[in-house]
Amino acid sequence: MADQSIISKLNQCFEQPSVQNSIVVLGLVIIGSVIWLGSKNEQWRIAFRRFRHDRIGIFAGVVISIYLLIGALEVIRIPTKEGQSESLLKLIINIPQERSYSAPFAKLQLGQESEFAAAQSSGDPMKIQSAERYRVVGTHILGTNALGNDTLVETLRACKTALLLGGVTSVIYIVLGTLFGLAAGYFRRWVDDVITYVYSTLASIPQILLLVAMLLVWGKGLFSIALALGITMWVDLCRLIRGETMRQAERTYVIAARALGQSTWNILIRHLLPNVMHLVLIKFVLGFSGIVLAEAILSYLGVGSPIGTPSWGVMIDGARNEFSREPLVWWNLTAATTALFGLVLSLNLLGDALRRAFDPKRS
Amino acid sequence: MFTGITRALCLLATLLFASCDNDPHPKPLVERGRDGGPPLVRYTYQSEAPRSLDPQEAYDQMSRRVLEPVYDCLLEYHPFKTDPYELIPCMLEAMPERHASADGPVTYLCRLKKGIFFHDDPCFPGGKGREVTAADVRYSWQRIADPKTECPVLSSLWDYVTGLKDAYELTQKNGGKFDYAAPFTALEVVDSHTFKVHLLKPYPQIIYWMAMHFTCPVAREAVEFYDGEKHDGKRRERFKWHPVGTGPFRYVHELSDHDNNFRLVRNERYITTKFPTDGWSPKREAVCRPLAGKQLPILDEVQIRILRETIPAWLLTKQGYLDSFGVSKDAYSSAVTATHELTPELLARGVTLEKDVEVSTFYTSINMDDPLLGKNKKLRQALACAFDAATENEIFFNGVREVAQQIIPPGIAGYRKDYRNPMGFNLARAQQLISEAGYPGGMDPKTGRSLEITMDTSASGADERLLTEFEQKCLEKLGIKVTVIENTFAKKIEKEDKGNFQLSSGTGWGADYPDPENFFMLFYSKNMPPEGKNISRYKNPEFDSLYEKMSTMDDGPDRLAISHKLVDMLNDDCPIFLTNHKAFFSLVQPWAPRTHNNMMLEGGVKYLCLDPTLREKKRAEWNH
Repeated sequence: MADQSIISKLNQCFEQPSVQNSIVVLGLVIIGSVIWLGSKNEQWRIAFRRFRHDRIGIFAGVVISIYLLIGALEVIRIPTKEGQSESLLKLIINIPQERSYSAPFAKLQLGQESEFAAAQSSGDPMKIQSAERYRVVGTHILGTNALGNDTLVETLRACKTALLLGGVTSVIYIVLGTLFGLAAGYFRRWVDDVITYVYSTLASIPQILLLVAMLLVWGKGLFSIALALGITMWVDLCRLIRGETMRQAERTYVIAARALGQSTWNILIRHLLPNVMHLVLIKFVLGFSGIVLAEAILSYLGVGSPIGTPSWGVMIDGARNEFSREPLVWWNLTAATTALFGLVLSLNLLGDALRRAFDPKRS
Repeated sequence: MFTGITRALCLLATLLFASCDNDPHPKPLVERGRDGGPPLVRYTYQSEAPRSLDPQEAYDQMSRRVLEPVYDCLLEYHPFKTDPYELIPCMLEAMPERHASADGPVTYLCRLKKGIFFHDDPCFPGGKGREVTAADVRYSWQRIADPKTECPVLSSLWDYVTGLKDAYELTQKNGGKFDYAAPFTALEVVDSHTFKVHLLKPYPQIIYWMAMHFTCPVAREAVEFYDGEKHDGKRRERFKWHPVGTGPFRYVHELSDHDNNFRLVRNERYITTKFPTDGWSPKREAVCRPLAGKQLPILDEVQIRILRETIPAWLLTKQGYLDSFGVSKDAYSSAVTATHELTPELLARGVTLEKDVEVSTFYTSINMDDPLLGKNKKLRQALACAFDAATENEIFFNGVREVAQQIIPPGIAGYRKDYRNPMGFNLARAQQLISEAGYPGGMDPKTGRSLEITMDTSASGADERLLTEFEQKCLEKLGIKVTVIENTFAKKIEKEDKGNFQLSSGTGWGADYPDPENFFMLFYSKNMPPEGKNISRYKNPEFDSLYEKMSTMDDGPDRLAISHKLVDMLNDDCPIFLTNHKAFFSLVQPWAPRTHNNMMLEGGVKYLCLDPTLREKKRAEWNH
């Protein structure tokens, strides 16, 4: 019971705008410092030079930056009235709310056209007056959803959920994976045995079942999802780093460092970590798309993002009902899927480009 | 060799032609109707399997639908009198006679009709059902008190009926074995067909309980035969899956499968009830007039299928293989137009549309023990005024449900058709009220930030989640911040029981019996959870005393006045805010017109009629 309340408190904490703002700042600092530290490393510098000529990689990077920018706009909240605030994105794209569904560029609410026409032709001023509520106030390029919110804005807002979740989850699993991987690869013996045993056990449980089980126990919330994904995702990274560390630890510079009497901590952080860091970077980019997809799948299963959170998975989940409507509501599913597809594809392309850039065989 | 091939071809051809007939139903058991023509077989469906067919145990609607045709009750609802609902005798000869004594206890004298027999069943000697006597009623009332039966309404009854609690507690003390031979003070057998029901205090609603299956007679032979006290070494299904009733239809156990289909055939010896001679609504005159005064049931056989998905049911309806169809969301737009009429295609087929309003009310509970909401009436009123029930109905229920103005749903004495809730949706008023409550613009002056309120829900599925989001957005128009907490259903109930919430969305109450008392008890201070249902934890001495007064009163102008007063009090005090009364559309096939739309009956199958010739014709037309 105790940890349940801790997690639900963390979930609530995660909803706070100030917490989200600091996460964004923290994220930018981490990315900046990784790049700055990387620029001092010889291997990274060669990779950057190679990356600059990779057109697909650059293109994917630009697309991802756009997503990042939109997500950041949604996270930043600006006080509007006393005690209230609104996201910057919503302030920039100020589109009025409707009552319910309306098709792209429609002038009237979905399914109310005949009623509106009937009221107009009846000539009864009372009826015409009451039919006015079926009129769509603004222009909606991608229509509106069941609650009358603009689909395009909702889709853009969902970037925030995807990016926040991706960021926090990455921090959790990268820390776990790197630490355990380094320890297992360097110390070997019983440390290696214990870590290998733990991750083999985790890897043998079907991931989606484990996620659903954890979320049912902890309750819904963005932090719950991040934690659950973090716990299941470190395995792959840990395996990669363990292998690479074992290889590096046999090399002469490590043996030399040990012979010079360097402390274990120094060897791990100064010598081994920078040489496995490129794996972390590639895994981070590729894993990010996995997280975004996992969130969508969990939302589709009904254990994902909490009510009121803009999320592509929730939009796709809602489309189950929208597709059995007459007339069909296709714009929510289309918008969410396209946005999801764009982000996941760009992340995968960037990940591939980074792998190519870091590949020692290419030089 | 040659003959072998011919045979194989013949067999193949037979199979092919056999499969041309796509009738999904098994052949009827009854070959000829009462008039020598084709049998009248009704094909119906429900979305879930019953949980039990033991009348003293079953509480869910799906079970009651199968139970109703099989077991008759002591009293029943008049099929046509629905505004308000009215009781008439069924197994009893007349309505129970009440004899009140000066110091409190009340006795009801009841006489059973003569010549009512249990259905034929192997549990009786020679397989022939015997006549029902007062001792059978006593036995079934003893079963209510038997802890082994797990009767869900025992705790509601033992406050009023003499000796139920004692019998239950005595059994618990004696290791759980109920002594059916011991004296039982709740029900006194006077002679073979007469019995008295003894009450601790006046409780006019007891007659409604006599129209529920919990109090209907069951045969002791059947319970003991199927629950294994007299074993003959053969494997038998339990009594809860082997009903032996007295009703208009006999349950055909050999052909039924309690996960998929139920077969009921007409009880040949049924004499208990006849079709009423008048009272139907004028629009049903043509259907009901020829049936007036006829011996029930009209139909020869009923087949109930379990169809868990709505799409197969809709397709079977379109092919003419189901007699009635509750319009689901999938089928809504192809069956009903925006103006709540049938689509031209269905209209041309001769299908009719019926709207049924359930005797239920949905609402959001406000926790009166909460330090913020419990003490601030203006704040509660602001929340109530901010919730736009009409738009919710339009967006999520196609405008089919009825916006609730009062806790009492339509069809119950005390429901006022033209009454408007003074705390109904009015955003300007809501904003005014919240500033009067001390939170101008939804701002908490102490913190300088928006007032924060949590709302618990157990929404599952995209629709319910959107519904919750809609409610959240409505309340947030006040400038406050509403945090939605999602729970599993069990967790939400647990929180409601413990009072660990501020707002609890999606609560509702369906009438056990059509009396306003059944709804007012939801706010009676001695009815606190987990035993009671006062989820809002509403405590108001004035309400309590009026409630106590009206709960033991007979219907009349005085009681009506109290009911109205209580409704006004609740609407003003806002321990809840109302959403809607559940309602839905049904499609009725031209060959099986409705005779009634009584929502207290679970289908009222015995009153229904059928034209098999028209059905054959339409089916051929629709499936050519």
